[in-house]
Amino acid sequence: MSISTPGGPERRPTVVSTGKKPAAGRPAAADKPSGGRTAAGKGASRPTGGKGRKPVTPVKVSQGRAWGPIALFVAVGVLAVAIIGVGAWAVYQGAQPWEKRADAINGIVDFRKKDKDLVKGGQHQPGPIKYDVLPPVGGPHNQAWQNCMGDVYDAPIANEHAVHSLEHGTVWITYRPDLPADQVAKLKAKVQGKEKLMLSPFEGLDKPISLQAWGFQLKVDNADDGRIDDFIKTLRVNASVEGPTALCDQGVTATGTTPRDNLGNNMPEQPTQ
Amino acid sequence: MSAAATTDSDLDEAPVTDSGDRGVARRFGVLALAAAVVVGLLLGYAGGLLTPTFTRPGESSAEAGFARDMTAHHAQAVAMGLLAFRQGQDPEVRQIGGDIATGQQGEIGTMQTWLRSWKLDPTGDEPPMAWMSDGPGLVKNGLMPGMATPEEMAKLRGATGREFDVLFLQMMIRHHVGGVHMIDGILDQGHDDDVLKVAQVMKNTQQNDLTNLSAALKRLGGTL
Repeated sequence: MSISTPGGPERRPTVVSTGKKPAAGRPAAADKPSGGRTAAGKGASRPTGGKGRKPVTPVKVSQGRAWGPIALFVAVGVLAVAIIGVGAWAVYQGAQPWEKRADAINGIVDFRKKDKDLVKGGQHQPGPIKYDVLPPVGGPHNQAWQNCMGDVYDAPIANEHAVHSLEHGTVWITYRPDLPADQVAKLKAKVQGKEKLMLSPFEGLDKPISLQAWGFQLKVDNADDGRIDDFIKTLRVNASVEGPTALCDQGVTATGTTPRDNLGNNMPEQPTQ
Repeated sequence: MSAAATTDSDLDEAPVTDSGDRGVARRFGVLALAAAVVVGLLLGYAGGLLTPTFTRPGESSAEAGFARDMTAHHAQAVAMGLLAFRQGQDPEVRQIGGDIATGQQGEIGTMQTWLRSWKLDPTGDEPPMAWMSDGPGLVKNGLMPGMATPEEMAKLRGATGREFDVLFLQMMIRHHVGGVHMIDGILDQGHDDDVLKVAQVMKNTQQNDLTNLSAALKRLGGTL
């Protein structure tokens, strides 16, 4: 019963009367009217009570005793529940799947929910391809991907290659060609040298900046918008259809919106995914 | 009536006081023991459940920083290795390029699996090398130690013949020297046993590579 020991100090008044039973028990109980009442009842009904003082103390004592352990175990119980609760909450928060965190980004369009056929992924198709969503966020694509080793392209690139890069887990940042140079520089700093990222201008955007991952799109007005980093952190690699080891090098490094499916001697038979 | 009721309760409480202390102790003892066992089990369960959460490497740990940065570092080595495998003229350059590309791609898989098992994102938002004590000072133009600039990579892609072989060997030696420095960083600062073991194997491999890359460069008449 070592557990009950720490409970005692919390309830000092009771402890005084119960803890020192032999000395303090009697006077303490006698002071109280309630004690006297119950004591009388007990004394009357008890057939075998040996000593007269017994009836006085017991009720008092047992009432006092009852609260000590109860308070203790309630306290410990609350503590235990709190520990479990906080821990479970932390685990739940930490384990929030990236899909949920992506959907929580304000303004993001989740085509994986909106248009499941679009993001099924997969098949290679040579030559120019028409995309309904622009910039494209998924769908058929050329067998060659755009190089996405943190490449910064200063001219528009072919959608047919870029979509393949998205399939490999790339976040493709596009900006309207009239975006001020200092804004472009900020985007470049986020991208350059970081695999599974690429940057290019894109004609005809309805917003200054548009971010694409496989099945996700977010349009923002400003390179300082904090959601850009959220989008990158949440979807880069995570959005890959083919996992974290899908390649980003060995891709097309040239710009131009006409797809280059015939890559010539420089790009012989690419392994197709 | 009231007397009977009192009697009942009195019978319950009769053993109290004096010798009755033991009765209370016994009564509450059973309850307390049961409660203590339940609470203890709950706490133990919660502890067991949560300990891995608190002890596995976190978002800002050296382990996570290493896994993420070394993934990026390796990715460029894979790019260079694949170029060598395809574009190299010298048989040893082609062979060593394929070896490095496949080996490091495998290690990327290992590191990414760590991150997933630690419930962390595959990439972070901290600047490169932030996890290493002397790391930030080693970053040049946003590039980790030994990494090639986009211009250097473009030059390598455009090179052919012996020029390619020499350029590849020079760049890969530099890349590996930087990589070994980063591995030393995690061997110094890391705590996770598996990470330390894998890092040591990475270091062994890259040091062997360095010996062979340097010998090949010498054989081809190049210098660093």
